[in-house]
Amino acid sequence: MELQLEYFLLLGAALFCIGIYGLVTSRNAVRVLMSVELLLNAVNLNLMGFSNFLDPVEIKGQVFTVFVITVAAAEAAVGLAIILAIYRNRDTIDMEQFNLLKW
Amino acid sequence: MDFSSTVASQLNAGVILPEGLVIITLMVVLVGDIILGRNASRQLSYVAIAGLLGSVVALYFQWDNSQTIGFLGGFNGDNLSIVFRGTIVLSTAFTILMSIRYIQQSGTALAEFVSILLTATLGAMFLCGANDLVMIFLSLETLSISSYLLTGYTKRDPRSNEAALKYLLIGAASSAIFLYGVSLLYGLSGGEIRLDAIAAQLTDLSSGQSLGVAIALVFAIAGIAFKISAVPFHQWTPDVYEGSPTPVVAFLSVGSKAAGFALAIRLLVTVFGQVTPEWQFIFTALAVLSMILGNVVALAQTSMKRMLAYSSIAQAGFVMIGLVAGSDDGYASMVFYLFIYLFMNLGAFTCVILFSLRTGTDQIAEYSGLYQKDPLLTLALSICLLSLGGIPPLAGFFGKIYLFWVGWQAGLYGLVLLGLVTSVVSIYYYIRVVKMMVVKEPHEMSDTVKNYPPIRWNLPGMRPLQVGLVLSLVATTLAGILSNPLFNLANSSISNSSVFQTASTPVILSESIINRQSLSE
Amino acid sequence: MLSAFILLPVLGAILISLVPNTNPNQNRPRIIALLFGGVILLWNVILGFQFDPSQTAMQFTEYIPWISWLGFNYHLGLDGLSLPLLFLNSFLTLIAIYSSNVNIQRPRFYYALILLLSTGVAGAFLAQDLLLFFLFYELEIIPLYFLIAIWGGGRRTYAAMKFLIYTALSGILVLAAFLGLVWFSGASTFDYEPLREQVIPLGIQLWLLAALLVGLLIKIPIFPFHTWLPDAHVEASTPVSVLLAGVLLKLGTYGLLRFGVGLFFEAWITLAPWLATLAAISALYGAFAAIAQQDMKKVVAYSSIAHMAYVLLAASASTPLALTAAMFQMISHGLISALLFLLVGVVYKKTGTRDVNVLRGLLNPEKGLPIIGSLMILGVMASAGIPGMVGFIAEFLVFRAAFPIFPLQTLVCLVGTGLTAVYFLLMINKVFFGRLTESLSQLPQVDWGDRIPAIILALFIVILGLQPSWMVRWSETDATALVVSPSLLSQVAQAPDQALSLGDELSMNVLPSRSGNN
Repeated sequence: MELQLEYFLLLGAALFCIGIYGLVTSRNAVRVLMSVELLLNAVNLNLMGFSNFLDPVEIKGQVFTVFVITVAAAEAAVGLAIILAIYRNRDTIDMEQFNLLKW
Repeated sequence: MDFSSTVASQLNAGVILPEGLVIITLMVVLVGDIILGRNASRQLSYVAIAGLLGSVVALYFQWDNSQTIGFLGGFNGDNLSIVFRGTIVLSTAFTILMSIRYIQQSGTALAEFVSILLTATLGAMFLCGANDLVMIFLSLETLSISSYLLTGYTKRDPRSNEAALKYLLIGAASSAIFLYGVSLLYGLSGGEIRLDAIAAQLTDLSSGQSLGVAIALVFAIAGIAFKISAVPFHQWTPDVYEGSPTPVVAFLSVGSKAAGFALAIRLLVTVFGQVTPEWQFIFTALAVLSMILGNVVALAQTSMKRMLAYSSIAQAGFVMIGLVAGSDDGYASMVFYLFIYLFMNLGAFTCVILFSLRTGTDQIAEYSGLYQKDPLLTLALSICLLSLGGIPPLAGFFGKIYLFWVGWQAGLYGLVLLGLVTSVVSIYYYIRVVKMMVVKEPHEMSDTVKNYPPIRWNLPGMRPLQVGLVLSLVATTLAGILSNPLFNLANSSISNSSVFQTASTPVILSESIINRQSLSE
Repeated sequence: MLSAFILLPVLGAILISLVPNTNPNQNRPRIIALLFGGVILLWNVILGFQFDPSQTAMQFTEYIPWISWLGFNYHLGLDGLSLPLLFLNSFLTLIAIYSSNVNIQRPRFYYALILLLSTGVAGAFLAQDLLLFFLFYELEIIPLYFLIAIWGGGRRTYAAMKFLIYTALSGILVLAAFLGLVWFSGASTFDYEPLREQVIPLGIQLWLLAALLVGLLIKIPIFPFHTWLPDAHVEASTPVSVLLAGVLLKLGTYGLLRFGVGLFFEAWITLAPWLATLAAISALYGAFAAIAQQDMKKVVAYSSIAHMAYVLLAASASTPLALTAAMFQMISHGLISALLFLLVGVVYKKTGTRDVNVLRGLLNPEKGLPIIGSLMILGVMASAGIPGMVGFIAEFLVFRAAFPIFPLQTLVCLVGTGLTAVYFLLMINKVFFGRLTESLSQLPQVDWGDRIPAIILALFIVILGLQPSWMVRWSETDATALVVSPSLLSQVAQAPDQALSLGDELSMNVLPSRSGNN
């Protein structure tokens, strides 16, 4: 059986959907952050798949993936820092408790 | 052949000279802060303003540059990007002016704040000129991550924390969704990352491809709509505006939003030229929702910052009329409006900062009777708000006329009429604040205003605030009356930009392919 | 030259706001305002003498390109339609400034706003560019809003906000019509003159005109768009009421003539019967509503609605005679309602009430307000159309012009005129005749300062009533030019007598031969 591009894309899409599900249902801020990471990894899978099948010479997709991973790390760092700050002030990271600002 | 000169001409690094200046400024501020310590932070922020003004000058000299493509197609410094970058740099300069006193009074480090703000500016500037997918993603994230940091800058304030967290989570999710759309574009175009190359690949769509393009379009729009805070991607806006430090809000409402619109124009016009009716439809829906919801919910707000948040949502709705119009004039009207919006909105925020510095509150009710204690503030805030409401002969009126006229020409009668009606609604809530300040009798004065501190401009950091206030006041008053040069500027920025030509002609595209081949050899 | 009407008041407003607050001499803003008002009026009179009424073209035009891409130009011009209204504006502004309370709160802001208001109105009358008209039309909203909201009566914030919302809505409808007109006519500019040649399909014209009409009818106001006016009048202070009734309402009717008739003549003719009917309804409604009022100011406010409806009636007849009549009625209403509001203001100032059920016998020569009362009776007579006063000529002209075209509607309006006499006599009878009650017997003396503006207005009312040609000759030529467009001459020929020179006819002073009233 040959590995086809569709499998990568399907896996990516599945991962993306799991990420979205996690984003919507999680109450814990760290879990939300993890769900965002899932989304980014779905993107990475897509890029790698496309890069392998469509752009094997210049592998721009793989380069892109490196950038995404880097930025995701930065985002996670900032996110965790903010969560840490809010934990110090509020002693909780439960999203439902964050209701100082409401419309 | 001399390798280095070939590379230099290929890179054409001169196009990012303005960004280079901002980077140098950023370095100077960072290093200066480490060497000189906290006492010099105010001087360092003046250095930052000087650097930003230098960047504006550099932008000016790049106007009508014939070689706009730099970095092998990664960056496009055409006139469109110059106008947007100029708007962003100016908004940052204003933001620094108004933040010196604010940040010092909040007891946090000023130089670090300025550094992060400059980083965000850098991201926004690169975003305006970004011409390939990696570049777009990186600059978008540079802007976003710095914005999260800025939002949470007063880290002992739980409201600021909360705003930052909400902004971060929603923002990260939306940029991930945007990125997913981008990855689909990469695949659909058969492995291209340059916008014009992608567009060339997407010219004839098979049915499977067109579904893919539709998904990519929706995901990309989700990312853009988040940046420009269009309904229904606006949920973060009121919270972030209320919770974060006010200078940050000022920057987000102008600089970040301008970058979002620049991205929208470039991405939609270049890449999604084939599905123009589709994205115009989506943006019509977004504009309708933004104008209605933004204006109506703003009526009910009691906090000044929240009201301005909803007002900025509504203003984004107005600007989208220009985007939907889809003509050169439409984009020019957006450029014009954003430029004017820069002054009036930042002017309003300067006033809000000034008031909260003196009284410590942002509630609209607390403004009552202010005219007796602080006529200058009252005048400036009134003018800025009335201009936002589109009252002639202030700048906002001309901006709106231009947008509506362009929309009307494009046949968007319903949208324009809705814009007209909702701008009447907007007059209501803007004038409510003005009424609060001007109309109230002395005995109806709020306690806050009764205890209003004596006006002292010679406190440290107040001068720049005053300069910012007067500048934005003058600009808001005169930009309308003297708007012809601005109109011409906006029009020529569109007509001389390569975005709109590459979308139709493949000439530059083939050049770029040749360039790439010569490099790979 | 014409820019003086726009720049001078702005300059005055700036000067006034620069007067130091701590100055013990609180009168300085007032003096500056009076000075500027006087200079503007003088300038207006000088222009009036240089104005050539026999020309149809715009005179003293000024043209500066503003926003070239939009086709938006700063283009001012003066013709026979704008000159009398411009004069009315300068004149009433001066009167309003003069009759303002000397010890008014926040004088600097107050006088600056009145001058700004004058700028907006003058600019709208002079604008020869549609967007410029709209700009000034909107410009006048904010000063008036503040004038009502700050110096008004008990429910002033409500009334001011209502005024603001209605007028803003009116503004955007007008703007929508203008945008549509320029777009559909394919013109490259918002300039007025070129747009008169537009050829747009009638269907679209009708839509555009409908938008314009609703916008302007709110401003005039015509039933059912009138509800903001009584509130605004009741809450506004006297000088503001004078300006509101005297000048600001004229923006609406001026817009009707200039833009409704001038730009959409074909559609106008189509809609004219409906407009005439609306005018008749509005006249009757205003009259009946006025009868039911207890507040003197409300009586005058509703009479305003009724009288402005005559302008609409004449405009819908749209013959040269009718348009001249519409102009005359505008001026006449401007003078009369200004006089009535001034006098009601004096009564209120002296007695502290405007309730017709409380006031009694103010005409008492010893302890009452005899001169004010006499002037009031004069004003009321003028308003009811007693011969010898300006109201009679105006209404006579209106009915004379409208009757051949819309007989039924004109008859209804005639009934409305009859009702004018009814409600005003009811009011006069209660307030000025009868025994002066004890509570009112110790009225403070009315000083001459309060009487002078009213007397000047009364003089104008009588003079123009005796010598109507002094007024008619300004607008006659231009009113004719407004309707005579080559393709539509057949429409105009319906009314046989407009080719005559009205001025001659009127200077012979047609004797009263009116039916069904007084």
